[in-house]
Amino acid sequence: MPARPDIARLYDEHAQPLFAFLLNLTRDEADTRDLLQEIFVKLARDADLLHGVREERAFLIRLAHNAAIDLMRRRGTRERTKENFAEILSPFATAADPDEATFHTELAAALAELPPEQRAVAHLKLWTGLTFEEIASALDISPNTAASRYRYALDKMRARLRPLYEEIK
Amino acid sequence: MKPDDFEQKLTRQPLRPVPTEWRAEILSAAQAAAPAQPPTLGASKLATFNQQLANFFWPHPKAWAGLSAVWVGIIALNLATRDPAARIAERSSPPSAEVIVELKKQQRMFAELVGPRELLDLERPRIFSPRPRSERVEILVG
Repeated sequence: MPARPDIARLYDEHAQPLFAFLLNLTRDEADTRDLLQEIFVKLARDADLLHGVREERAFLIRLAHNAAIDLMRRRGTRERTKENFAEILSPFATAADPDEATFHTELAAALAELPPEQRAVAHLKLWTGLTFEEIASALDISPNTAASRYRYALDKMRARLRPLYEEIK
Repeated sequence: MKPDDFEQKLTRQPLRPVPTEWRAEILSAAQAAAPAQPPTLGASKLATFNQQLANFFWPHPKAWAGLSAVWVGIIALNLATRDPAARIAERSSPPSAEVIVELKKQQRMFAELVGPRELLDLERPRIFSPRPRSERVEILVG
C-alpha cells in the first residue's frame, strides 16, 4: 500500500503555479478556488494517484487542466458569455507603476481573447517555465502541437499589445 | 528558440499570489476527505518489535552473528558426541509379545520359588470396588 501523500508539502510547492494557471483558464476566483481544492482533495483521497509519478508539477498541471476543461464544459454557454462580456479578472499581481498596470490589464485582455488551448500553452511556457515536451505531456498533446499553439498565441498577443509595448518600452 | 524582448517582457510579469487563507481551508478539506487509516495495530506492534530488535542488534552485528555461530557449533558438537546407548534406547521399539510372555513366565517361576502367597497376589487382578468410608473403618477395626 503506497504511503499517504504529504498534502501540505504538495500545496506549498505547487499551489502557486496551479492557482495562476487555473485563474488564467477560468478567469474566476471562486472557480479557481473550487478547482484547486478539488485537486488537493483528490490527492488526499487517492494515495495511488501520485504513485510512480516522476514529475509532480507536470502531473498536477495535467490534473488542473483536466479539471478546468471539465468545468468549462459543464458551464458551456454561460462561460462563453462570461468570457465575452464580463470584466477581465487579471491573473497578474497589481503593479504600482501606471504603465505596468496598463500593460497588465491589456495583457490579461489579450490572454482572455485566446482560445483556451492556446492560452493554456502560452501560460505554461511563459509563466511556469515548462518545455514544449513537458507541456505536451501535461496537456496530452504532441510537442509540435504545443509549439504551434504557442506561436499562434504569441503572434496574437504581439499584434494586440504592440502599440502599448512600443510606447512603454 | 531564443525568446525575443517581447517574450521576455511577458515572462517577467508577476503573477497574483494565492490568497493566504486558502491554504488552511483547502488543507482542511483535503484532510477531511482523506480515507481513515485502516487499523494496523498488530502490524504496528510487529513493526515496533522489529525496530527494537534491530536497535538491539545493530551496534555490533558481527559480534551477534559470531555468538550465534558458536551456539550452533555447541549444539552440533553435543549431538555428535551423545551417548550411543541412550540413542539406541530412544530408538528401540516397545517389547514384543514374546518378550512379555517370557517375562511373565520368569516372574511366575520366581513367585513359585518365593511362595504361594506372593503368586496369588501377583496373579489376582486388582479390582477396585468403591465402598463407603464406614465399611473401610470396620475392616480396619475387625
